[in-house]
Amino acid sequence: MALCDVSGFRCGSELRGQLFGTGPSLLSDRANHFTFGTKCQEFAVPAGVDPSAFLKSCNEDDGVSIEMNHGTTTLAFKFQHGVIVAVDSRASAGNYISTKEFNKVIEINPYLLGTMSGSAADCQYWERLLAKECRLYRLRNNQRISVSAASKLLSNMMLGYRGMGLSIGSMICGWDKKGPGLYYVDENGTRLSGRMFSTGSGNGYAYGVVDSGYREDMTMEQAYELGCRGIAHATHRDSYSGGVVNLYHMREDGWIKVCKEDVSELLHRYKKGMF
Amino acid sequence: MALQDVCGVGRDSSEGTLFLSRGGAAGATPSYAGLGGGRNPLNFYVPAAGFLGRGPVRFGQISPPPSGTGEAAFLPTAPGTTSDVAPLPFPLSHGTTTLGFRFQGGVIAAADTRSSCSGQVACPASQKILPIHSHLVGTTSGTSADCALWKRILSRELRLYQLRHGRMLSTGGAAKLLSHMLHPFKGTELCVAATLCGWDRGDPTASGPRLVYVCSDGTRLSGKLFSVGSGSPYAYSVLDGDVRWDLTVDEAVALAREAVYRATHRDAYSGNNVDLYHVTAQGWRAGRVVVTKQHINHHDMELWALPGGSGVKFHSSEKIELYWVELGLFLSI
Repeated sequence: MALCDVSGFRCGSELRGQLFGTGPSLLSDRANHFTFGTKCQEFAVPAGVDPSAFLKSCNEDDGVSIEMNHGTTTLAFKFQHGVIVAVDSRASAGNYISTKEFNKVIEINPYLLGTMSGSAADCQYWERLLAKECRLYRLRNNQRISVSAASKLLSNMMLGYRGMGLSIGSMICGWDKKGPGLYYVDENGTRLSGRMFSTGSGNGYAYGVVDSGYREDMTMEQAYELGCRGIAHATHRDSYSGGVVNLYHMREDGWIKVCKEDVSELLHRYKKGMF
Repeated sequence: MALQDVCGVGRDSSEGTLFLSRGGAAGATPSYAGLGGGRNPLNFYVPAAGFLGRGPVRFGQISPPPSGTGEAAFLPTAPGTTSDVAPLPFPLSHGTTTLGFRFQGGVIAAADTRSSCSGQVACPASQKILPIHSHLVGTTSGTSADCALWKRILSRELRLYQLRHGRMLSTGGAAKLLSHMLHPFKGTELCVAATLCGWDRGDPTASGPRLVYVCSDGTRLSGKLFSVGSGSPYAYSVLDGDVRWDLTVDEAVALAREAVYRATHRDAYSGNNVDLYHVTAQGWRAGRVVVTKQHINHHDMELWALPGGSGVKFHSSEKIELYWVELGLFLSI
């Protein structure tokens, strides 16, 4: 970091090395992928393993094929009162539903949320790492990290491991000095700012109904209803989405968790329209 | 007599089973597949059946040409293009949006009108809903050429059935016939996914609107609501929320139009216009809606609410020119 250099701050490992005359010996002291803030941009990969080559062999038509599908439905959209974030809660392992109520929203801090789709392990780990970096930023700079910067951090993490088989489709939502922010970050390093995103295998279904009902000047209740509807319709048609709808509303003073509605209840309520 | 030959009256059919004679002595003559004898009502003609078993390039079983499946009815022969077109970046599947649902006023069938070929829009005004007879239309998805051919074959076979037996085959029967005709091509590159939307008359126990989905891989499903194609997820969620049995005709048409529009909005392989067909007891009528976006900024969109629905509103800011063509009875029985 530039400020690091200017202020002459040195991280603990270097200081210890200077004091005790030995180089960094512990893994945590060595320059590795945990030390995003420092100059050395090395990324730790287990020795002898070439993830890209391994993955290429898994994507051939004949033979084993690993499909990295984002089996879920998450959606988020901006409107006049902030950002609505709605996710389903089904975690599947192939054809097996491993968890019925898995919270796919990570509450990074009271003004920043991240959604998860893709590999649950990857999402949980990398978004928790993002949360750590956001906290460190807050401590070092005495101001909140912007949504743009947070999404950039995640995107750079993804770019460092590009092609190695990560599977993350995440939306970073927050409210900073520039107002409500919504970014979509992908495992390829894609980072897009937008008004509305939906990720996962059920995203098409969510797009249809949310596009249809979206208005910039919706009331909060209408926006909550639209978010729930999007997820409910997606779970109706997509086998990899289901469970409950976790609905969050990002406001100027932070996020609130609006509701956690069972999808079957929601569909029953809409039943008048569905067979 | 020609009619006698066509109707198969008195014809000695040597194959008394469901299986076709592959290759063999038939050569150029068409092979008839019969079930249980020459006078069986389900004699139908399978085109090119003789080629199915023959090499070296066995019919339909070659690897797909680079311009791939699910594309235009004809390869555009622009000057300078050779048979080696650029390979597909990813496998395409049914690049279209078609849908059909039934309600108290009949069956609504809707589709977009974009035919795509290797990422190019080959025809922006193609017809994806083909009338089969006066009370049956079929939506098409998959390879345009295959769909067009098989629809015509189906029309002909239905007419022959009607001449032989004096009654029109029901929608379910037509679907079964189409499914059996497509069965010999299972495993080949033939790709037809059709939704037959019709109104059954005559039989009092099974009359009214009927919707059956037939696919060349053997699927045959009867249902109340189907959407086929790459744009189908976008259409499904709009339809799921608001399709009910007791919709009025205007509401149903507006809903179908909105669903296809939503799909064209998000799907790259769907677009241009929306074809709408409405099948009733009196026959079908059709219209084509030109959907042109007056402005992309959806801040200014006006909406109207679907009566009785909650939450989902329709956008009306596009300049929509709707002209109903009362094409009425396609052929009189």
